[in-house]
Amino acid sequence: MTARMKIVESRLPDVTVLRLSGRLELEDGDLLFRDYVNRLIAEDRVKIVLDLSDVTRIDSAGLGMLVSKYLSARKNGGTIKLLNLTQHSDHLMDITRLASIFEIFDEEEAALRSFRTPQFGSTTTQR
Amino acid sequence: MGAHAAAGRRILIVDDDRGLRLALSVLLTDAGHVVESAGDAPEAMALLHQRPFDIVLLDIGLPSMSGLDLLARARALDAPPIVIMMTADDTSEALLESVRREAYCYLRKPFPPNTIVDVVADAARPDASQAIEVVSARPEWLELVAPCTLNVAERIQSFVLHLDAHLGEDVREAVAQAFRELLTNAIEWGGKLDPNRKVRISCVRGKRMLFYRIADPGEGFDIDRLRHAAIANPEGDPISHLAVREEQGLRPGGFGLAMTRALVDELIYNEARNEVVFVKYLE
Repeated sequence: MTARMKIVESRLPDVTVLRLSGRLELEDGDLLFRDYVNRLIAEDRVKIVLDLSDVTRIDSAGLGMLVSKYLSARKNGGTIKLLNLTQHSDHLMDITRLASIFEIFDEEEAALRSFRTPQFGSTTTQR
Repeated sequence: MGAHAAAGRRILIVDDDRGLRLALSVLLTDAGHVVESAGDAPEAMALLHQRPFDIVLLDIGLPSMSGLDLLARARALDAPPIVIMMTADDTSEALLESVRREAYCYLRKPFPPNTIVDVVADAARPDASQAIEVVSARPEWLELVAPCTLNVAERIQSFVLHLDAHLGEDVREAVAQAFRELLTNAIEWGGKLDPNRKVRISCVRGKRMLFYRIADPGEGFDIDRLRHAAIANPEGDPISHLAVREEQGLRPGGFGLAMTRALVDELIYNEARNEVVFVKYLE
């Protein structure tokens, strides 16, 4: 058994970095994550980086919530980018082909810089 | 899972490591619980006979009497506490005895401090005392029958995954993910999260393969009508099923079968599709 989801937020002028730790699973982190991102979007903070380095488990519901909130952010003129995937999370992104949806970064600075660079609807993986 | 249960539970910590007893006591007191501790089994039994406890955190390797024996005695009380086993003993025998003697779950030492607070919160939930029926508790064949709740799913995983602890990390993570996805499907869709319905789980370990079977109490499903699952998506569009789920009022998800197919070597459903087996071959 592993610890529950916790979220630590860092606000930069235009981008919000959320550091997730614990489980992102059905009724165990997914709803906390949903509500947290909904609040950010309501505040018009729609450029979001998710640091997933301390996420111990992700299940189908967790992946679904990641995509759902990614689509919400996009609908509101922003996006969600992923940072520091564990080897297992990275594998899950590959086998579900979600790596073709999200921009994924290994370095926070590169993730933040990508928001300052004009984007053309790119969904390429930045590794 | 879900919101934290109410604090204020009466907790007994039983461990011969005084430093660990103190650390756990501080953590759980800060979380709002009423905590007492004992350094060995006789002291613990005396406390258990004096007043009721909701939850016992119990080390297996105690002096004078094994934690497993204390587990059996605690569970035989008129108002048995929920017992969480803590141990550095990784043997499957200790784990299986814990399952057989109705432990709530099994924590391997060392564990992160937050874990114990969260596990106690899970154990404090009203549905935590639901029993898992042990059909077979051999290392080669573990078979359980359990109520269809997510809390029970988490407990079963804590047992099953400890049995796989000796496997390489890649295999262990693949099997754990596949098992979790299929068990959650069985409990959520087949069992409708109804604690009165039961799911049956078998985990068989051969020299060259791991075999898992999950039978749910539902009517099964028609794989051609799974438009809400990622396996139905057209090539090049991994998320179109999410729109279908939204139309149907389903929560986000639907990646479980797609993941499982990629993670295991064989995935086979029965005709009704309310029973599934998966196999992972070992090198």
